[in-house]
Amino acid sequence: MTNENATIAAGPDAGPPAQERVSKEGAVGNNRRPLYLAILAVFVLFWVLGLWAGKSTTTLLNLTVEGIMLGGILALGSMGLTLVYGVLKFANFAHGDLMTIGAFVAFALMQVLPGSEAIASFSFGWGLLVAMVLAAPVVAAVALAVDFLLFRPLRRRGASVVLFTMASLAAMFFLRSVIYLIWGADYHFFYPGRANPAMHLPFGITLQADKIFIFVLALVVVGAVWILLERTRMGKAMRATANNPDLAQVRGINTERVIQWTWIIGGSMAAAGGVMYGLASQLRPEMGFVLLLPLFAGTILGGIGSPLGALVGALIIGIAFQLSSGFIDPTYGPGVAFLLMILVLIIRPQGMFTMGGD
Amino acid sequence: MPLLEVDGITAGYGDSEILHNVSMRVEPGEIVSIIGPNGAGKSTLMKAVFGLLHPKSGTIRFDGHDISRLEPYQIVERGMCYVPQVANVFTELTVEENLEMGAFLLREGTLDERKGRIYDLFPRLKERRRQRAGKMSGGERQMVAMGAALMLDPKLVLMDEPSAGLSPVMVEMIFERIEEINRNDGPAMLIVEQNARLSLKMSDRGYVLAAGENRFEGTGPGLLNDPEVGRLYLGG
Repeated sequence: MTNENATIAAGPDAGPPAQERVSKEGAVGNNRRPLYLAILAVFVLFWVLGLWAGKSTTTLLNLTVEGIMLGGILALGSMGLTLVYGVLKFANFAHGDLMTIGAFVAFALMQVLPGSEAIASFSFGWGLLVAMVLAAPVVAAVALAVDFLLFRPLRRRGASVVLFTMASLAAMFFLRSVIYLIWGADYHFFYPGRANPAMHLPFGITLQADKIFIFVLALVVVGAVWILLERTRMGKAMRATANNPDLAQVRGINTERVIQWTWIIGGSMAAAGGVMYGLASQLRPEMGFVLLLPLFAGTILGGIGSPLGALVGALIIGIAFQLSSGFIDPTYGPGVAFLLMILVLIIRPQGMFTMGGD
Repeated sequence: MPLLEVDGITAGYGDSEILHNVSMRVEPGEIVSIIGPNGAGKSTLMKAVFGLLHPKSGTIRFDGHDISRLEPYQIVERGMCYVPQVANVFTELTVEENLEMGAFLLREGTLDERKGRIYDLFPRLKERRRQRAGKMSGGERQMVAMGAALMLDPKLVLMDEPSAGLSPVMVEMIFERIEEINRNDGPAMLIVEQNARLSLKMSDRGYVLAAGENRFEGTGPGLLNDPEVGRLYLGG
């Protein structure tokens, strides 16, 4: 008598085991639950390890909250990354440096803008917000220029995806060198020497007001992009182009225009993310590069091409990053993010929110 | 003046030549079929007409203008729409959004009215308008693809093997719809079809293509009843 669920005894040519076969149609939905459980298990594990390493629950709670805030910053970068990947079909390694440019342009603008006094309990003044809003179109312009000079000629020649990725690496080095040339290799702060006391919230959470602002801003921007994608003509055209670029052309959609809008939106979000990251830590030319691994980890984990996935993935990576510093040296943070991404890919290779491939 | 005039084109992918000196035309309001064996270049001809590939020599005229060098979106602007054979809907978008994308180039505000007309033509689509197109059956997808192509009220609709992969009941329904759309001042239609009999039965004229060249030309009924065409291409 054969056991339908025995996979080992099935032999090499038996095909997929019965369980897999039965749920093939529903496989896309079914596979997500183990994924959610796995991630939850990882967080529980991190808490346990943190407690075992002698940290208090309050500390761990604070780390988790910091992780959520970091996730907000990462989400701004991840969403741009995922939009570019969805529409242009390649991983843009220069995305981190778009964030860096956003931060440094805002920094330069702030030297000449008024409004440096802190607003309420925040450490930043109106000058920073204005500088951020002004930096966005600058970064968008840089992204468009890089596309025009580098990626568009490759598109016309029908180059392979690998070539685009390599080109984006080249753009990354180029952009970073430009930053070094203009601003030097030093660290900078938006508000050097300014105190940034934390607020005392319930459950023993201490959090700087800045971080809450950053998180809320990230949610607002992500929400705005979601509305754009779901409710506007250009947003739907972006989703259509990402889904089937040839059919988009057939339907009369000007795919070059769609690509330009993708760079504008992605670049603007990167600028905001860069400024927020600079506010939360400090400005340095490598800041974007340092963020690349967590950005990619979050994007891929959430399902590359899915904006919701980028948000959720970024949050998960942010939490994992911060929480893991409860029991290991924070320098290993990127390694933790990387391992978590690998774990997700093993359980559900297409990531969390992409469909199971039509 | 013919609506579409293909004059001696040679075309192919990369260095290959699939079509050799092919000519054909479509008059306003006509249904024209292109039939022939596999690999004859029927799909290639359609792609060349629509600007998905450009002819190496020869010209293609639409409404009197030379469109041989234009991009698909420019050709759509001029009033020609295309229903591809495969991957002809946006699977991640809903039925309604697919129709909206069909009308992407629409400048004035008649979007809802146009959607209404498509729903009248295909009531099943109205029921399922918020469903993701990727979840629909082959026949339903074909309806979505056709509906999307009609949103801009084109003068000419290109259809690449509309019966492919469909059940006989669905095929009959689709061809009934094609006739209905064309009736009463509807758009002209250029149909590439494997199912030659079905297609020729409702066509005003037809062309038989083989090995990338013109073989036969005639009226729909004429070709259908031609014994040589029947022997070679209509399966007896």
